[in-house]
Amino acid sequence: MPWGLHTKDTPGQGRILVVDDEDDVRKVLRLTLTKAGYEVVEADHGGKGIEVIGADDNALMVDVIICDIRMPKINGVEAIAFFQQQYPSVPIIVLTGYPDQKMATELLSRGVYDYLVKPADKDKLLECIAGAIARRLELKYDH
Amino acid sequence: MELARSTIRVIILGAGKGGTALLELFTRSPDVEVVGMADRNPEAPGLRLAKYLGIPTTSDSLALIAEGRADLIVDVTGDPQLGAQLVQHKPHRAEILGGKTALLIWKLAQHEQDLRDQLIQAEKLASIGTLASGIAHEINNPLYTITGLSEHLVEETRPEVIRDYVQDIIKSGRRIADIVQDLNAYSRRSRGQEQCDVNLNHTLDEAVKMARRATVVDEIKVITQYSDVPPVRGNADELLQVFVNLVANAVQAMEGQGTLTLSTSSANGFVYTTIKDTGPGIPSNNLKQIFDPFFTTKEQGKGTGLGLHIVRDIVTQHGGRVTVDSTLGQGATFTVRLPALPD
Repeated sequence: MPWGLHTKDTPGQGRILVVDDEDDVRKVLRLTLTKAGYEVVEADHGGKGIEVIGADDNALMVDVIICDIRMPKINGVEAIAFFQQQYPSVPIIVLTGYPDQKMATELLSRGVYDYLVKPADKDKLLECIAGAIARRLELKYDH
Repeated sequence: MELARSTIRVIILGAGKGGTALLELFTRSPDVEVVGMADRNPEAPGLRLAKYLGIPTTSDSLALIAEGRADLIVDVTGDPQLGAQLVQHKPHRAEILGGKTALLIWKLAQHEQDLRDQLIQAEKLASIGTLASGIAHEINNPLYTITGLSEHLVEETRPEVIRDYVQDIIKSGRRIADIVQDLNAYSRRSRGQEQCDVNLNHTLDEAVKMARRATVVDEIKVITQYSDVPPVRGNADELLQVFVNLVANAVQAMEGQGTLTLSTSSANGFVYTTIKDTGPGIPSNNLKQIFDPFFTTKEQGKGTGLGLHIVRDIVTQHGGRVTVDSTLGQGATFTVRLPALPD
C-alpha cells in the first residue's frame, strides 16, 4: 500500500525498510511485519539499504527504517547518518544485538526514533513501529 | 655491596613440584641464573621445563655440583642421605639451602605462583567484561531468531512451515552453544604448570575469533601470513590469553576499522609472532610504560591496565620476549618471540 494513503487510523499499514546482515533476523522481521500488515523492503547491509531506498520511488514510499548497527561494508552508524541527511522525515528504529548505552544515547540524541536491543519482543517492536509511523505522518503533514 | 649486584648462580636439586616452582620463580628474577637442575627421575616435570629453557639437566646431583658453577645449591629433594653427601662434595664457596629452610622458600615460591595465577585469571575475567557487548551481540542475534520464530510458531499450523521454523531455531540454538563453549574454554582457570605443545598459528586464529568482540563495529580486514612454524612448549590457555590481549588491543586501537596483519615465522630456535595494526600508533613516551601494571590510556571499562603486563609476564615465563614498535599515525606492531620446541 503506497504510504500516501496512510492515515493515523490505519497504523498497521506502511512500507518498512529492514537493514540487517543476518538472513534469519530479516526472516523474523519479514514475518512479523507482513503479518501486521506492513510491506517490507530488505537490505543485507548499509550500502544495500542506501541503494534500495534510492531506487525507483522507494524514498517516497518508505515510512520507517529498521536498521542494525554491526554490518559489513557500510555499518549501521554510517547508513543512519546517510538516511537522516537524505530522508529526514523517515523515522529510524535501531534494532541491534548491542546493549551499548553510549551508542544508544548517541544515536537517540542524533534523532533516531528508538533504540531496541534484540531479542525485542514482537508487541514491543510493533508498538514502536506504530509510534514511528505516526511520527512519519506528522512530519508529512507538517510540510 | 659487590655481592648484591652480582648474579647468583643456582643449582636446583629436585625437579618435582617444589623444584619446578623454584625454577619458575628464579627464571623470572633477573639477578638469579639457574645453572643446572637435577632429579633422579629423568621424567620429572621440572627437568622438562629446564631443558626447554636451555638449562642443563641431569639425574646425577653430585656430578652436577662437582662442576663447581654454583654459588647456591637449593636442595628440595627431601632426601637426608643426599643432604649429607652435599655437605661433603660441595665446592668450597657454594652455600647449601636445604631442609626446612629450602621448604620455606619453596612454599613462598608456591605462594607467589598462586598469586600470579590468580592475577592472570582476574585479568582474563576482566577482559571478558570488555568483550561483553560483543558477546551479547553475537548471542542476541540468534536469540532473536529463536524468540521471534517461536512467537510465530505458536499460531502456525502448516507442518512444512513449522518444520522450517524449528530447523532455524535449532541452528540458532547451536550457534549460541558454540559461543558459550568458546567463552567457557577461554575463562577456564589454568595453572602455570600445565604444559603442552602449542601451535601458535592455531592460537592466533582462536585469539582473533575472541578479540573481534572488542568493538561495536567490526570492519577489520585480517591478513594472515603464517609459516609452518614448529610448536612451542607452554601453557595453551596462558598463550591464548597473550594473543587475545594483543589482538583485542589492536582491534580497539583501530576502532573496528582497519587492517590487522598476523604473521608467524621461525629462526634460530625461536618462533616469532607479529601482530600489526593500522591504528593511530602509540606515542613514544607511552612506549616505555606500556608493559607497566595499571598503565592504561583506555577509557574506564575498556581496559584494566593489566593486559600488557600479563602478556609480558606470561611470555617471560615461557622463556620468551615481547617487544613493541610504533610510530604515531602508522599503527603499532607487537612481536612475541618464544623458544621453539626442537625437532
